Amino acid sequence: MIRLLKANQLITAGGLIVLLIFVVAVFAPLLAPYPADAGSATHPENALLAPSLTHLFGTDQVGRDVFSRVLYGARISPVIALVVLLLACAAGVPLGVAAGYFGGAADEVIMRVTDVFLAFPSLLLALAFVAVLPASLTVVTIAIAITWWPWYARLIRGQAASVAGRPYVEACRALGIPRWRILLRHVLPNSVTPLIVQVSLDAGGVILTISALSFLGLGAQDPVPEWGLMVAEGENYFTTGWWLVTFPGLAILITALAFNLLGDGLRDALDPRRLPAR
Amino acid sequence: MTRYVIRRVALALVVVTGVVILTFVIAGVVPGDPAATWAGPHASAAQVARARQYLGLNEPLPVRITRYFGGILTGDWGVSVHTHNPVLSDIGTAAPATIELVIAALIIGAAAGIPLGLAAARWPGSILDHVIRVGSVLGVSMPVFWLALILQLVFAQRLRMLPVAGQYDPNLMFSHPLVTRTQMPVVDSLISGNWPMLGSTLSHLILPALVVATYPAGVVARITRAQLLDTLGETHVQMVRSLGFPERTVVGTFAMKLAWNPVAAILALVFAYSLVNTFLVESIFDWPGLGSYAAASVATLDTPAIAGITLFVAIVYVALNLVVDLVQAALDPRIRLS
Amino acid sequence: MKRHRVGLIAAGAVLVSSLAACGGSASPASTQSSKAASDVFTYDTTSPVMVDGWDPATEYSDGIIAMSQMYETLTHYNPATHTIEPELATSWSSADGAKTWTFHLRQGVYFHTGRPMTAQAAKAAIMRTIKLGGGAAYIWGAVKTIDTPDASTLVFHLSYPSALALEASADYSAFIYDTQAGGGGNGLTSWLNAAHDAGTGPYTAQTWNKGQEFEVILKSFPRYWGGWTGTHFTKVVFRVVPQDTTAAQLLRSGQVSFIEQINSSLWSSFNGDSAITLVSSPSWQNLLGQLNSKRLSLPVRQAILYAIDYKGIIAALRGAGVASSGIIPPGLPGYFSNLPGNSYDQAKAAALLKQAGYGPGRKALNLSLTYTAGDSNEQIVATIIKSDLAALNVNVSAQSLAWPTQWAKGKSSNAAQRQDIFLEYWWPDYADPYSWFANTLETENPPYFNLSYYSNASLDKMINQVEPLVATNTPAANQLYRNMQMTVVQQAPLTALYNVNYQYAMLSGITGLQVNPAYPNVVFTYRLKP
Repeated sequence: MIRLLKANQLITAGGLIVLLIFVVAVFAPLLAPYPADAGSATHPENALLAPSLTHLFGTDQVGRDVFSRVLYGARISPVIALVVLLLACAAGVPLGVAAGYFGGAADEVIMRVTDVFLAFPSLLLALAFVAVLPASLTVVTIAIAITWWPWYARLIRGQAASVAGRPYVEACRALGIPRWRILLRHVLPNSVTPLIVQVSLDAGGVILTISALSFLGLGAQDPVPEWGLMVAEGENYFTTGWWLVTFPGLAILITALAFNLLGDGLRDALDPRRLPAR
Repeated sequence: MTRYVIRRVALALVVVTGVVILTFVIAGVVPGDPAATWAGPHASAAQVARARQYLGLNEPLPVRITRYFGGILTGDWGVSVHTHNPVLSDIGTAAPATIELVIAALIIGAAAGIPLGLAAARWPGSILDHVIRVGSVLGVSMPVFWLALILQLVFAQRLRMLPVAGQYDPNLMFSHPLVTRTQMPVVDSLISGNWPMLGSTLSHLILPALVVATYPAGVVARITRAQLLDTLGETHVQMVRSLGFPERTVVGTFAMKLAWNPVAAILALVFAYSLVNTFLVESIFDWPGLGSYAAASVATLDTPAIAGITLFVAIVYVALNLVVDLVQAALDPRIRLS
Repeated sequence: MKRHRVGLIAAGAVLVSSLAACGGSASPASTQSSKAASDVFTYDTTSPVMVDGWDPATEYSDGIIAMSQMYETLTHYNPATHTIEPELATSWSSADGAKTWTFHLRQGVYFHTGRPMTAQAAKAAIMRTIKLGGGAAYIWGAVKTIDTPDASTLVFHLSYPSALALEASADYSAFIYDTQAGGGGNGLTSWLNAAHDAGTGPYTAQTWNKGQEFEVILKSFPRYWGGWTGTHFTKVVFRVVPQDTTAAQLLRSGQVSFIEQINSSLWSSFNGDSAITLVSSPSWQNLLGQLNSKRLSLPVRQAILYAIDYKGIIAALRGAGVASSGIIPPGLPGYFSNLPGNSYDQAKAAALLKQAGYGPGRKALNLSLTYTAGDSNEQIVATIIKSDLAALNVNVSAQSLAWPTQWAKGKSSNAAQRQDIFLEYWWPDYADPYSWFANTLETENPPYFNLSYYSNASLDKMINQVEPLVATNTPAANQLYRNMQMTVVQQAPLTALYNVNYQYAMLSGITGLQVNPAYPNVVFTYRLKP
């Protein structure tokens, strides 16, 4: 396993950066020179200072230290993304299992419902929701989760359906083992691998969606140090204050990149069809 | 084949119905007071009440749903609270600009992605391959609104090489007026032979299109590469190679033919994602498309407009999916039999 | 409606108007377009101009930047001499303790419809404005009857003393227009709203591209009484540009002549550019923070006002605002530089909150604040207020809305939907602070601009007393204004967060600009030399 990891540069690179982000998120209060700036503190006398030794990434239009806010931002988008994906799985997996294993009417209904949700690109549906409800990260989280669960339902359904037809499952049924036991012991474990791959592949996309919605003003609200929101707030000062936009945006890019690399690497490593030899 | 077509179309209709219901639900959750925004700043309480009556906000729910459905089918998608125009007509005015941008982005994305994917597959494991692979992952990880700001700052503000914003230079409207037919300035100037205007529209299109093209380029490059690598290993390609065809032809002609399928499959998805990306980019480039219309609707709590935009994009997406599926089914018998 | 003007980022249409003359400076790569060559004046603003219709009688918003080119008033306020000058009236006098006013009208003035301006026409315009009762029609509130002894004399009989000559110079509802235009009567309003104008001013309406970038285009009126000798701009274009960065680019490349408002750091970045003139000027405009007096008790309101870091706001605005004293800006009668209020004292704020059961360690207080979308200055203020109050366990959720939506929400008949803190700019209707009191503090049912929903009978009484005093006894009037402001400080229904400092940018070839605070953000293009 270790050898496989070492051999796969993608997982290593992506994984390391993800780990770094995780460390930053956990230790942000210690790493940030001005932790209060990530909350509601403002220092208007220090507005729009260029990057310097006291403020590595400069200050924003109300004098908050950009470096501290970017560090704290690691606690927002990546965490929200994971929550979103967890919710999406929590909804999608049981429904997918039900659809795939039981088949018939349940399958039809669930699949048609997923079709409706899949008709929307996720950002758009999330946009419609948050546009009519008061903007907040909670609403954004739920909105994105609602648009994401169909993918997992579909994925798990495929797995469940293929397992449901296998002979050993029929044997289990003949032996009188209850359905739920079969689902738990035989269907789910087989679904875990593709699910993990899909989740890590999706994490990057979800992070981009969250920051995009915050950029539009529909997600995180000031003073939450969400990277997309910071880019939006810095937009008007960009020509004279390049640091307001550059650093938060770079953070989004690096985070999304890391998760995408990790996802790619995991898919390459865990996909049975792929042979290690390149 | 016919049975497949019927099944597919029926499915699409069911999906669209579900979408309509969903947008109605969304439109029904209304904070703010659309009647007051409609009646305008000078309205008295009586005028606001009249506006509420006019907008049909007092009717019971089942009546509103049926009217909504009926309206959608007959082309009445409600009236925008902030422009006072019918929503469908507003969308009709704004959509072409967005579509022009998305199509330009997709063209650039494909034109860049396919050769890059090809090159990467041609020399797998090389430096070039690694660079292209990293580049394509960068493309799909890129926050487009950030890239738009950066490119605008560098190319338009600092280097002054490209225009900052807008669809074309307004001065030209007087010396070489643009005849609008399709509402897409590039197309219109092309068909009317208005060369100065064409130059201006193209130069204004470059930056936004480039920004939006990063995602499609990345996806297309990755998929082309992956698919080609798979195909290159297959027996019949080996056979072609052994027959003495130059590698260039093997990769370029024979393998590529088989690579189209997955590219076409994700086309709809890439289109949808790019469409939404243009929404983000439009405000930065003053592009008068659906994204700007959506932004204005959000700032004015204009729920009919938001619902209308959501419905429109969903319908476009469903239609596109339908077309792609039907084309694929026509080309590949295995699909229609499943 | 006191506007949402000064929207810095408002996206809007660009009004660049008729650039027919300009052809050249198309691409940004080209150098500055020669400033002298163009006879088109392009006014760059951030939000749509004609949002309140085209009727000069009821206009009460940003439309005046265009209307003041097409319409004129009887008198005009001169900021340099602090007096009123002749415009459509050449002389005037008052009698009977300022209850009778006689105006002599200028000869040889024509409406754009071709009809001559006579006393009867002027009377008809004023009567119609009074009848419609929109906009700032209250300025004619004292008028009982108007006589027209001959074609160039207007005699006003008032029911109480009032400074009518001053009020006639107002930026709203004082325009003289041809009531017979468009068939007269009820047809006039719809004719006007189809982008026609019936004024006497130097420019007349050419095109209106509603909702688009080049929103309004005006062309010169050949029969203007002021004549066209010398060099003048022949066209005025209003261009709506939402993004500050785009606006800056347009000015640098000479595609717009004048930027109304741009964020401070971009404005300062024009320093040193010889092709651009920077204009910084005090104004009579301030940003009001109106506190919901129906929902917030007196100690809470006072606490909120003690909790705000006013100096911090000024610092963050970087020149776009100056500290205020009372709610009347300097330059207007009734301004006193030593009024209490606007002091930043978190300890006092905490003590007051404690009285009401809130504050650090106690119950959290949740408030809603609304401000105008697209205005980056208001956004900064909202952020700072949020942060200042958060330190006291008061959670403010700030919502940015388009101005019509923000205002509609504030006037909502459903009181639960209304906000707790409303940010809006205010400026006077004529060179007197009466407007603040009559519109934002006098009892209103239903609310219109009194968005603190404040009702104080003794303040109402004072407000009713002040107008006649202004006409008859200036020192007494000023004292009354002082007393009213003291009441406001003590009762805390609202405060002026800062006074706006106009930061304009213009092409340096253009001369003759005189910033006139009585006509906010209006550039009298006729007086400019290209």
